Amino acid sequence: MKKNSVRVWVGCGIFCIAAVLLSVWYAVTFNDSRLVVLMDFESYAFTPRDLPMIVSILLACVYVLALFIRLFISIGKKQRDPAASNTTRRLNPKLGLLGLLGFLGFAGFWTYSVTGDVSPFVFLLFFGFFGFFYEGKMSGTFMDERFRENAARAQLTSYKITFKITLIVLIILCRGKLFGSMEYTLMAVIIVLSLTLALGIFLQEYLLYRYDHDDHMEEGEA
Amino acid sequence: MALFECRLKKYRQLKELTQEQLAAQVGVRRETIMRLEKAQYNPSLKLAIDISRAVEAPIEELFIFD
Repeated sequence: MKKNSVRVWVGCGIFCIAAVLLSVWYAVTFNDSRLVVLMDFESYAFTPRDLPMIVSILLACVYVLALFIRLFISIGKKQRDPAASNTTRRLNPKLGLLGLLGFLGFAGFWTYSVTGDVSPFVFLLFFGFFGFFYEGKMSGTFMDERFRENAARAQLTSYKITFKITLIVLIILCRGKLFGSMEYTLMAVIIVLSLTLALGIFLQEYLLYRYDHDDHMEEGEA
Repeated sequence: MALFECRLKKYRQLKELTQEQLAAQVGVRRETIMRLEKAQYNPSLKLAIDISRAVEAPIEELFIFD
């Protein structure tokens, strides 16, 4: 995307957010918070005062939809461009720090004890973002047939490891309840699945880097 | 490690091509040419043909399998 069009898109986004905020303020102040708080739509009757909320929400929806379409078009264009599709995507290795978000997953222990909710365990998946560190190191690399071969090898190895760990853990867990509780067992399944998927995501990038890097090391030594 | 003998280096030098130049001609990275010359990488048929055309030598002369 060109800088000008990015500015237009960001501007439209800011306008949509401002419109939604203004209409929420209007609805809360002058319209008894209609369409802001939950309401029964079966008995809903339109009043002209609802218009700002309806228009701003419609605007925001159209903006999000247009943004998605624009993104799909630009991804398609990139894939058709041979120069762009033959090199790995440009990425800053510092994005690997996003892997630290995986620690959010441990919040699941707290939410489980307070509300019984186990969904935060899924955040353990974010540990996979550590792979961005190695992907960033390989960014902008020309993808020749040896690179693609190494990528396929790395992918296959990571899948094998992930499936093996998942299978072993599931067999162990399915043999009996963890601490005599089915709930704990299912929690352990969610944790293990999230962690193994994260490992799979990370390993793909790490192994690819290692295969390519080890090749270079050998060449340097010779 | 080597499953075959590769004589690419000899023919490349005969054509007075650097690894970088040959890599650019056949559309691979220089490291791939390095690995090929050490017979540490088994190329695809397409790459083998491209290389044999680039150095103007028959494939069976470049890559010798036992």
